[in-house]
Amino acid sequence: MPASSKSFTQGDLQDQKVAGYKSPLGVTHTHTVALPGFRTQSGFTFEKIDVSYQTLGKLSPARDNAILICHALSGSAHVAGLHPETKRPGWWDFHVGPGKAMDTNKFFIICANVLGGCSGTTGPASTNPKTGKHYGMEFPSVTVRDMVAVQAKLIDHLGVEKLFAVVGGSMGGMQALAWATDFPDRLHTCVPIATCPCHGAMQIAFNEIGRSAILTDPNWHGGNYSEAHPPAHGLSVARMVGHVTYLSEFSMTHKFGRQRQAETGVGEQDQFSIESYLHHQGESFVKRFDPNSYLYLTRALDRFDLFENRTPDTVLKRIRARFLVISFSSDWLYPPAQSRELVRLLKRANIPVTYINLDTEYGHDSFLIDNPPFANLVRDFLENGLAHGPVSGSRHEPLATR
Amino acid sequence: MHPGIYETVAQWIPEKSRVLDLGTGDGAFLEQLVKTRHVVGEGVELDAASVARCVQRGLVVHQGNIADGLDQYGDGAFDYVLLLGTFQELVSPADIIREAFRVGRQVVVAHSNFSHIRVRFQVLFSGRTPITRSLPTPWYRTRNLHFLSVLDFQDFCRDAGFKQQASAYFNSRGQVHRLPNLRAEDAVSLLQPT
Repeated sequence: MPASSKSFTQGDLQDQKVAGYKSPLGVTHTHTVALPGFRTQSGFTFEKIDVSYQTLGKLSPARDNAILICHALSGSAHVAGLHPETKRPGWWDFHVGPGKAMDTNKFFIICANVLGGCSGTTGPASTNPKTGKHYGMEFPSVTVRDMVAVQAKLIDHLGVEKLFAVVGGSMGGMQALAWATDFPDRLHTCVPIATCPCHGAMQIAFNEIGRSAILTDPNWHGGNYSEAHPPAHGLSVARMVGHVTYLSEFSMTHKFGRQRQAETGVGEQDQFSIESYLHHQGESFVKRFDPNSYLYLTRALDRFDLFENRTPDTVLKRIRARFLVISFSSDWLYPPAQSRELVRLLKRANIPVTYINLDTEYGHDSFLIDNPPFANLVRDFLENGLAHGPVSGSRHEPLATR
Repeated sequence: MHPGIYETVAQWIPEKSRVLDLGTGDGAFLEQLVKTRHVVGEGVELDAASVARCVQRGLVVHQGNIADGLDQYGDGAFDYVLLLGTFQELVSPADIIREAFRVGRQVVVAHSNFSHIRVRFQVLFSGRTPITRSLPTPWYRTRNLHFLSVLDFQDFCRDAGFKQQASAYFNSRGQVHRLPNLRAEDAVSLLQPT
């Protein structure tokens, strides 16, 4: 069931204008809350943390319909609806809204910017209360488990004891996994999408190219760059590399092929369309993302390991959630084999897991684009759980204990 | 497969068993087992549209082929492993049954009987690969790799070391009690290791 080619020409909603796109939610707002006292996994203590978040829909009287959406590397709390200033739709507007895969008429949607990010939550660009200047490289290292621990404090603040579901793609999928293992009693359903239990050498390699571009930009200055002169060139190159890994051979061929933009010299840019596309992606990213955040978040990705020197069994036996794991056949950044291995570990720990490897052609970005087979699957899985409880989703007890 | 096959299997499976249905299709039978026999069930299915139907039914389903599906599970994860109708499509049925016995305590196999009398007559008189009600696809489109009979399956079980604890046979008129190798179109057996 490949998504229609129209879906792809629309692309994702983050860095390009989609002609005629209307969000049924209208303008939506993000809020910021200051949460007191947080200690990171590395042992650093923040006296307070600002968390930028958005909620959509209504929390049920029983407080059992909340879905936490975890964003990927470049996302933000603005998950759906139009931004009050830019009027741009949120990054997952295709799949979050009334009647959509995550239906705001049925669910109370929560999305928060991650710790270490740069869209309202405390990160390296925030002011260090001890120095009065930006944290820069004095910001403590951040892990996926830290991001999740901050989100847990946020849902405490929102009065949600147990989430109906945690859903996320890519880095968001890692957060979903960390939720299931670190807060097993606080979620009913876990939906990790296009993700993995830990980064392999190839994934670390691509991130390192991006980081190197930032670190070698003369404007980086050990992370103490001024707002007026950030290492924009380095960040832009990092984003270009990233974007290549999010696409697929098929999507690049169909969208750009060998189309030429101009007859330019060897030393000039934008000879082929794919080049100007990547430059555009890089340049628009620089306007909304902090280079130091990029360093911290890619490090968090690379260091993520669901098991962290523990045996899979000790980690997974704590899980109480039911799972929907989705991978995409054309995703070469987070190949289906990694999801399949995750599923195998979960199943061997007697956890009910539904696994689908969707045959979509658009690479890692397949979860961000308008993708009806993906949307239907997520909707059916979530709504089945809400309406009846899982038909056969209770955790199996191994034979020996019966 | 004949509807009687599914009725028989539903009777064989005790309430609240743990069941793995290999090649579960759109999940209709597994859903029935979950609802009427209160089993804890999971399905394995390759076809994307069928998998989507399973998700709509609220079933736990794994998208993959049968060997891949079995590999996901630990030893003794299920009481029953079902192979209903896909058996003759397996590249190496003996390996799959062995894996099925690793994952489950008992295995249920249903297969078409390729020595039904109508099949025999067609081969004898038309000299061509038979097309019958229970084998409706021509040779160039069928997914069947193996053309086995009720007797072949008995030999297979004996040689591979499985006991047919119970068997049932069906043709278009209903259950077949006598001369199944000649009269049955579909067969189902409950297997145990000997």
